[in-house]
Amino acid sequence: MASVETAPQQQAFIRPDGKEKVTGSGRYTADLTLTGQAYARFRYADHTHARIVRVDASRARALPGVLAVLTHEDVPAVKYGQMAQDRYLFAKDIVRFEADIVAGVAATTEEIASLAAELIEVEYEPLPAIVDYVAGMAEGSPLVHEDWASNERDENLVADGNTLGYSTIVKGDADSAMANADVVVKGRYTSDPSHGVPIEPHAVVAQWQGDKVTIWSSTQVPYIARSGVAHTLQIPEANVRVIVPLLGGGFGAKCDFHFEAHVAALAKAAGRPVKLVFSRREEFVAIDHRREGMVLEFETGVRRDGSIVARKARLVLDKGAYCGEGGFLAQMAAMHACGPYKMEHVFVESYLNYSTTQPSASVRAPAAPQVCWALEQHVDEVARAIDLDPLEFRRRTLIADGDEGPTKQVFDHIAIKETLERAAELIGYGEELPDGEAIGFSCGWWPSFSSNAGAYVQLNPDGSGTIVTGAQENGTGAVMAMPAYVAEVLGMRPSDFQILYQDTDAAPWDMGSAGSQTTFNAVRAVLDAADDVRNQLLDAAAEQLEAARDDLEIVEGSVRVKGSPDHAVTVAEIAASTTIHGKGAGPLPDSPPVEAASCVGRLGFESFLAPQLFTHAARVKVDRETGVVRVLQVAAVHDSGRILNKIGADGQVYGGIAMGIGMALSEGTLLDEQGRQRNPHLLDYKLVTSADGPAMDIEWVEIDTPNAGPNGSKGVGEPPCVPTAGAVANAITAVIGTPVRELPMTPERVWRAVRERATQEGDAR
Amino acid sequence: MKVDATLTVNGTAYPVQLDPHISLLRAVREAVGLTGSKEGCDDSECGACMMLLDGDPVNSCSYLALQADGREITTVEGLANAEGLSALQRAFLEEGGVQCGFCTPGMLISATALLRATPAPSDEEIRIALAGNLCRCTGYDGIVRAVRGVAAAGLVP
Repeated sequence: MASVETAPQQQAFIRPDGKEKVTGSGRYTADLTLTGQAYARFRYADHTHARIVRVDASRARALPGVLAVLTHEDVPAVKYGQMAQDRYLFAKDIVRFEADIVAGVAATTEEIASLAAELIEVEYEPLPAIVDYVAGMAEGSPLVHEDWASNERDENLVADGNTLGYSTIVKGDADSAMANADVVVKGRYTSDPSHGVPIEPHAVVAQWQGDKVTIWSSTQVPYIARSGVAHTLQIPEANVRVIVPLLGGGFGAKCDFHFEAHVAALAKAAGRPVKLVFSRREEFVAIDHRREGMVLEFETGVRRDGSIVARKARLVLDKGAYCGEGGFLAQMAAMHACGPYKMEHVFVESYLNYSTTQPSASVRAPAAPQVCWALEQHVDEVARAIDLDPLEFRRRTLIADGDEGPTKQVFDHIAIKETLERAAELIGYGEELPDGEAIGFSCGWWPSFSSNAGAYVQLNPDGSGTIVTGAQENGTGAVMAMPAYVAEVLGMRPSDFQILYQDTDAAPWDMGSAGSQTTFNAVRAVLDAADDVRNQLLDAAAEQLEAARDDLEIVEGSVRVKGSPDHAVTVAEIAASTTIHGKGAGPLPDSPPVEAASCVGRLGFESFLAPQLFTHAARVKVDRETGVVRVLQVAAVHDSGRILNKIGADGQVYGGIAMGIGMALSEGTLLDEQGRQRNPHLLDYKLVTSADGPAMDIEWVEIDTPNAGPNGSKGVGEPPCVPTAGAVANAITAVIGTPVRELPMTPERVWRAVRERATQEGDAR
Repeated sequence: MKVDATLTVNGTAYPVQLDPHISLLRAVREAVGLTGSKEGCDDSECGACMMLLDGDPVNSCSYLALQADGREITTVEGLANAEGLSALQRAFLEEGGVQCGFCTPGMLISATALLRATPAPSDEEIRIALAGNLCRCTGYDGIVRAVRGVAAAGLVP
C-alpha cells in the first residue's frame, strides 16, 4: 500500500471546498430549490407519553395547497433502529417523547404546511411520563416500551424493565481487593443532557423519478441514511440515492438515519419534490441525537504509594425514548469509567435506560466527555486523599507501553504520559498564580475505528484526476486533504484533482463522518486506489517508452526514466491514450486481542484499537461571589499517532476545546417534569462565543503507531472535546476547595458549592 | 398581499414583490436568489444571516425585507472583488478559519464591518465584534488570527 512520505502539513493547505465556502457559492441542502417543490412539516406529539386514540387529518387534507398528509397507516408497518428496532416512521399507538412524529404534511408553501400540521386532530390517552431514568429501573415502574421483547435487537442488548443496555467490565475481584486498600474514596456525579448543535439545522429534499428516489440530506452518514430509507419504505438500496450537499457541521447530531424516509414518502404521495428544513427549536427537540444525561458513582481503593488496587463504578445513562444506533453507549461509558489507568481489580457496571425524553445517541465522542469529567474529578479526589499532587498521581497510574488495561488489553506505542508532561509545561504548572486562579488536569482516551471503505481514482484525458470516495466531509477537512495525499503518490499537484464525494451512487459504502474514521479508513482506501493508478501509469509508460518498469519514476506530472529526464511521457499523454482508473480499499487493521470474557454487554469496545490518548490542562479564574468561571488558558496535548494534515488536526482541537468549555460551564438541557425541554434555543442553551475563548496551546506527541491508519495515524476528530470539562472542573475545585458535582458547572452550581463549603467550615468551627 | 419593492444587493437592483412579513434573509435567499447568507436560528442568536445594510451589520433573519427597500445590501456574495477573494476571505482559508463553512458568510460580514470601522482592532475588540456569530467547528482561533492578520497588513476590506 502506498504511504504518505512527506506530510502535506509542510505545504500550505487551502481546503478545496474553501472558495465556495467563503464566497457563498457553495450549496448546502437548505439552499436547494427544485421545480415544483413542496414543503414538509411534521405534527409532533402533544404529550411526552400517551396512547394515540384517534388521528383525524380530514381538516388538514381539505386545506387548499395541501398535497399530502401521511400517518403510520400510509407507510410500511416496519420498525427501524440500527441496534434495536423500536420505532416507526410515524408513531403508531404510542408517542414516547415530545417530538415523536405523529404525521407529516406536504403543501405548496411553508405557511400552509404549518397550518395543516396544526389542523390534524389527535386524541390521546395520557400515560405516565418516565423522566427519572434511575427511578425507571424500579420494579413496577411504567414501561417506555411495553411490547419490546419482540423487537429485533443486537443480541448483546438486554430487555429488562426499562433497561435496554447493560455492560460490565470485570477484572479480578474488586470487592475483596477493596479491603486491602490504604484509602477508599467514593464520589457521585450527575450530568445533564446536552447537544451537538451544528450551526446548520437539518434539511432534506427528496425527488422521485420513476421508482428511484434522490434524497439530498444534511446527513453525516449517507450510506446509513440510504439503508434506513430502503428498510422503512421497503425498497432496494439501489433505488435510493443519497447526496449530501455541503454539510454545515454535525458533531454526531446528524449521524444515523433521521428524516430522509419521511420526506421521501411525502414526495411520493405529493407527486413532486418535497423539502424539509428544521427550525432551531426542532434541531434541539426533534433529532434523535442528544448527549445523554448520566448518574455516575465511583469507588476507588488506593495504596499510599499511588497504586490503584481496585475501581468500582456504577453508571446509569438516559437513553431516552428510542435506541437508534445508541445501544453501545453503556459499554463505551464503562470503558471511560476505567480510563487509561493501571488498576489491579475492576468492577464497572453501566445501565442504559429508556425514558420518555428525547433519544440519546452519538454526539462527538459519545459518552466520553461526561464520564471523563466525573472520573477525572474523582482521580483528583483520590490524589488528595493520599496527599499526592494530581500531576504526580497521574504520573504513577497512567498506562504506558506494556501495561494492561481494564479488559486485559496490553498496550504498546502509546504516549499518554508524554501528553501529561507537555501539558504541564505548556500551562506553566507550579508557577505562582493570582488569587482566584488555579490549574486543573484531565486525561482520557478514545479508540480509533476500523471500517470498510472503498475509493476510485481516475485520470481524465487532459491529465487532471478525479477522486471518488464514499467519505463524508463534515468540515474537519479529512476529505479535503485527499488530493494532497493522492498527488504525492502520483507525482502530481493537489490542484490536479477534484473530489466526487457524498453521493451514494458514486462510490462504495462508507461508514460516514462518524467515529473519527475518515482519515483512518477512507484515506487508506484512496491511497490504495492511487497505488493502483500509479501501477497502471508505470505499466503504460514502460510500454510507450520501451523501458523497464523498475527504471521509471513519476515526477512533476511525467513518467520518466530515472537518470534521463528527457526520456519521458506526461501523465496527460498516457491518460489521453489509455484508460487509467484505479480502485482501492486497503487491508483493515486487526482488532487487539483481549480477555474480556468476564465482561457482559460486549458491543465491540472491550478493546481500543490504536487508542488516542490526551491530556488537557486548564487555567481558570473563579469569582467566588457569583460563581462565574472564566477559562483563561487551555493546553491540549494529544497522541493521535502521526499527523497527516496538521491544519485540519489543529482545527479539531481548537474546536473541541471550545465545545468542551461549553459542556463544562453552560451547555445543559433542562427538562420539565413531563420530560419536555425547557431551553431548546440558543438564548438559554449557551454555546461558547469568540469573546469567551481562552488562550489555547496545542501540541501533538507523534510516535510510531503500528496497526493503525495510513502512515501510523490514529483518529483525531472526536477526542478534543473529551477532557476539557474535567480539566476545568479540577481547576475550579482547586480554587473553591470542593468539587462541583453537576455538569454543566453553571454559576449557580459553582456558587452553591462555595456556599456549602463555607457552611461546612462554619459548622466545623 | 404582496408589495412592490427594490432590493439592491451587492450593487444590483432587484425589483421584487414581497409579503410584508417576510424577513430580509428570506427575501434575499428566495426572491433575489442569493443563498450565501444562512439561517441558523431565525432569532438573532447565531449570526449566520449577517448582511451589511448601508454598511452596518444586521441579523437579516430578524429584519423586515421592506425596511431594506431602496437601501444598499451587501451579502457574502458581494465580498470578493475584481482581483478575486478579499483579503479576509483569503485569510480565513489560510488560517484554518473555515471548517464546515456554515457560519462563514456571517462571520465574514461581521469581520468586514469591524475592519471598516476599526482598521487596527485589538484581539479583545475582534473577539467582542464577532461574539454575535456562533461557530461550532473552529473554536474561533483561526478566525481571530485571520482578522488580526488582515488588520496587521493594513488591508481594510
